[in-house]
Amino acid sequence: MRCANWEEQVALLAGGDLETSEAATVERHLSECAACSALAADLRAGLDGLRDVHTEPLAEAHYAAVRARVLAELAKAPGRRAVWPWAWAAALAAAAAGAWVVSLVLSPSTLPAPQLPRVVATAPMVERPVLRQPGSKRSAENQAAEAGKKSRDDSRLRRLVSRRHGVGVIPSGGPVEEAVLSGADVQAVAQASLPAPPAATNDSQVRMVQLVTDDPNVVIYWLFENTGEGR
Amino acid sequence: MKTLTLAAVEAGDEPEGHDTALEAARAGDRAAFDLLMRRHERLVLGTAYRLAGNLEDAQDASQEVFLRLYRNLGKLETGNLAAWLYRVTVNVCHDARRRRLSTVPVDDEPELASSGGDPQQRAGEAERRALLLRSLRTLSEKERAALVLRDLEGLSTAEVAGVLGSSVVTVRSQISKARLKMRDFVERYSRRRL
Repeated sequence: MRCANWEEQVALLAGGDLETSEAATVERHLSECAACSALAADLRAGLDGLRDVHTEPLAEAHYAAVRARVLAELAKAPGRRAVWPWAWAAALAAAAAGAWVVSLVLSPSTLPAPQLPRVVATAPMVERPVLRQPGSKRSAENQAAEAGKKSRDDSRLRRLVSRRHGVGVIPSGGPVEEAVLSGADVQAVAQASLPAPPAATNDSQVRMVQLVTDDPNVVIYWLFENTGEGR
Repeated sequence: MKTLTLAAVEAGDEPEGHDTALEAARAGDRAAFDLLMRRHERLVLGTAYRLAGNLEDAQDASQEVFLRLYRNLGKLETGNLAAWLYRVTVNVCHDARRRRLSTVPVDDEPELASSGGDPQQRAGEAERRALLLRSLRTLSEKERAALVLRDLEGLSTAEVAGVLGSSVVTVRSQISKARLKMRDFVERYSRRRL
């Protein structure tokens, strides 16, 4: 009866595949176990016999036959060797290049960027109230009154913007005029279109368009009055 | 124990001459390729014969190995040619065996001819060889390859692992199982005859 848990080690020992310490352990077991010792002897004899069988050289004619067959196969395709590997390489390279070009053409990242609208504003475009008609005769008193009204309106607009948006980007003192929207650097989207402010009178509404530029530090506010004229 | 390097040297594969022949073969020199075949034919045909178990299949496999060598001359690294040839030989023999198994059923443990008569007369050297060769057929593909490369080709366990793409632990397990299976086959046959 062989020791099942020793069989693998005995088989490795028979072929000289154990380290010295492992071999010593197995040898100790073999000295105490007749069945495993017999197994080891059988294994050694079998390996020796197998090696004997296979150490006999094959006849030279068998090798020559293989060489002749190989050379005959190669002769069927003369010149193939010189071309074949490089043809494959060239074909693969061409295929890879084609795939790359196709991927470039179809890739969304390489498609031409869509034209952003220069300005998108939802606020109704209204004409500024015409305060002065060319050639009209106005008195100095009327002109002063109009100037004072415009100044008050401008101040009201500045306060309104600051109160609603918490920003103070409108420089005080300067007139509140329409923003210049056609600048090339304004690739902006109108972020807001203010409804008519509560303080606005019935016949005068304030509209504001906030334009964001590429520069985060530059925000353009377009403020204008909607007096109802032109509607 | 023989190493891959030793096997290559025994095959007349000295590094300098080998490089020259390989380079010339790469350039399309048929005579240089013939020289390469002569240097490695014992490795290839011998291994194929031990794996296939018969000369005809071994020659077919060897032809395929050398044709693959020819087609891959441009990719081969000079120092690894012997290992490459062992690996391809094992693969080609395995492929051929699978094709054979798919068309012709083969018993895992073929019955040996038992013609009766005096056991002493039949226990000649030829029969003993046949018995050992048949015992190889009882092994699985991997066990057989591991045993042939380790015990017959004399490669180290690590080299066998490299050729077969396995770990050393796996190869040791395959080798020990293969030896035990072969021993059991021979023992069963001997007991049957008695």
